Amino acid sequence: MLKILIPTLMLIPTTWLTPKSWVWTTTTAQSLAIALLSLTWLKWTSETGWSTSGPYMATDPLSTPLLVLTCWLLPLMILASQNHISPEPINRQRSYITLLILLQTFLIMAFGATEIIMFYIMFEATLIPTLIIITRWGNQTERLNAGTYFLFYTLAGSLPLLVALLMTQKDMGTLSMLIIQHTKPTNLLSWGDKIWWVGCLLAFLVKMPLYGVHLWLPKAHVEAPIAGSMVLAAVLLKLGGYGMMRITIMLDPLTKELAYPFIILALWGIIMTGSICLRQTDLKSLIAYSSVSHMGLVAGGILIQTPWGFTGAIILMIAHGLVSSALFCLANTNYERTHSRTLLLTRGLQMILPLMATWWFIANLANLALPPLPNLMGELAIITSLFSWSPWTIVSTGLGTLITAGYSLYMFLMTQRGPTPLHTISLHPSHTREHLLMAMHLIPVLLLVLKPELMWGVCH
Amino acid sequence: WILAWMGLEINTMAIIPLMAQQHHPRATEATTKYFLTQATAAAMILFASTMNAWTMGDWNINQISHPLATTTVTLALALKIGLAPMHFWLPEVLQGLNLTTGLVLSTWQKLAPFALILQISQNTNPALLTTLGVMSALVGGWGGLNQTQLRKLLAYSSIAHLGWMIIILQFMPALTLLNLTIYITMTSTMFLSLKIMTSTKINSLALAWPKTPTLTTLIMLSLLSLGGLPPLTGFMPKWLILQELAKQDLPITATIMAMSALLSLFFYLR
Repeated sequence: MLKILIPTLMLIPTTWLTPKSWVWTTTTAQSLAIALLSLTWLKWTSETGWSTSGPYMATDPLSTPLLVLTCWLLPLMILASQNHISPEPINRQRSYITLLILLQTFLIMAFGATEIIMFYIMFEATLIPTLIIITRWGNQTERLNAGTYFLFYTLAGSLPLLVALLMTQKDMGTLSMLIIQHTKPTNLLSWGDKIWWVGCLLAFLVKMPLYGVHLWLPKAHVEAPIAGSMVLAAVLLKLGGYGMMRITIMLDPLTKELAYPFIILALWGIIMTGSICLRQTDLKSLIAYSSVSHMGLVAGGILIQTPWGFTGAIILMIAHGLVSSALFCLANTNYERTHSRTLLLTRGLQMILPLMATWWFIANLANLALPPLPNLMGELAIITSLFSWSPWTIVSTGLGTLITAGYSLYMFLMTQRGPTPLHTISLHPSHTREHLLMAMHLIPVLLLVLKPELMWGVCH
Repeated sequence: WILAWMGLEINTMAIIPLMAQQHHPRATEATTKYFLTQATAAAMILFASTMNAWTMGDWNINQISHPLATTTVTLALALKIGLAPMHFWLPEVLQGLNLTTGLVLSTWQKLAPFALILQISQNTNPALLTTLGVMSALVGGWGGLNQTQLRKLLAYSSIAHLGWMIIILQFMPALTLLNLTIYITMTSTMFLSLKIMTSTKINSLALAWPKTPTLTTLIMLSLLSLGGLPPLTGFMPKWLILQELAKQDLPITATIMAMSALLSLFFYLR
């Protein structure tokens, strides 16, 4: 674990000490090296499931895919930000990269934490760099509002979590995940215990986000710069899912009945947010709502607490992380050229940017869960387990799949096909950097088709 | 108690000229208000200690045990430091002072009453302390929401932090002391940085970016720390306090305190 943390922290002196023209190259290269190193975590050798442990950090098949995703995304974020940040003075560029690196460190520590309190502190700690990135480098004046929404929604959910965790520590004497998985289920009957249950779960549901408390997400995504959107969509939402999976170990006997309203909200949210996507004019907003929709599926999968549900949830999280981030990068390529996110202004790109159209095609197909991509694996596992939990859920999940296909195709057709408007003919051709970015997003998705065990090790 | 009272009186007397240095009418007004409130508090302390001595026959600070006397002295000390519901003088007084004197008022002046509070902590009425604490945290949060003047903002922040300090007094006075120390450090940072930038309103803070980016970053971090966000130090007292409250089976109180911290965070964030 330290092998990864220390190089990541050392990236900060790297950004500040390298000469101006080499900053981006060196940071990208170093973060790529760290990402490749992180792939070594994928070898799980221990029988208890936890390996590479230190005093407070360890990796297990649940956290490793998310950790690798986080490490993989840092070079991609740096690559993506290169263009829109270049007009700024060098020190601001360096502070931007430093913020990304700090965020990365907190995320690694969060996913690798074994004490739940450490996870909580890192969970909160990731808010600060993200907030600064959104408010300082966002694109529009609404970003202050978006930052406030972001911070307060998340904090309002997580402060009850803190109290609930402290109460747990008092009762059980420890909050280490290694130990909690072996404690006997507690007898939870009173109203106070039910409120404790909600307190534990609310923070993660807001972060995921669940349909009723999802308002911060479109605002934050639309206002954030590209790296902020990437990391938000890909990783921060998964923090919520990961936290939920860890916490439900403790919450067991109550969850059967108490989870009903949240499962219903999640399923309804899939359909509602999908439908909103069909009527969106803002490209980034469309992708943001699609994130909410996928995360609704993940929430549903986790809350029913079956092995297939968990498996589907983690596969969908990883696949969605990569694909969503890819879509945001694509939207950003459009934005950098036209400085507008309106779908109508960037139509018919297939004529002028054909290679980018390929990436658009693959990313949208992945979004709508085409077999044999891992998105489908995840969705299928969740839908099946939801069906076995209750046959009626097939109504909303099936409709949801249909609507997802609908808006993904809509996104593709709107941006690629159709007559090219005259004002777009003079757009810049695609940079190699952008192609590299897209390739590095989508090739792992394609590779995961071949070895999905890397992702679902936790239940098989 | 007589000596304690004398010490507090001399403290008040000494700071009055410091506050009245600026010959601005608002400064004079602030000085007068401060003097009146502090003198009232001191008189109440004298009264309470005399009452205790009359009924219990004891002048010792730790041994104050008559319930009416303890309540009175707690309220008097709360008035001295500015806990709700006796907080109304604090924003206006702080507004009338310049930043250095404001710094002294917020930090040094809290030390003496707190020393007394810590010593009487065993005998005080728990319900009273909890009420004072929760009310202060809430008032500090709500009151600061509409402020644009930085000194008033810091006054409300002070009220909220004092609320946190008081609430843990009955369970673990060491945490009160920890919270006080960290609060003094953070508030001193804020006041001194504001003094360097000579800004007294939120609007003037917005122009600070071009002047001193390093200082602005420091201010931002310090504000977030005052708000109690992990992983900054300001989180530590809040965390430990919530832990103690949870251990004592007071989760509702803990949740209320935590939510009111959110209120304060909002106006720090602006």
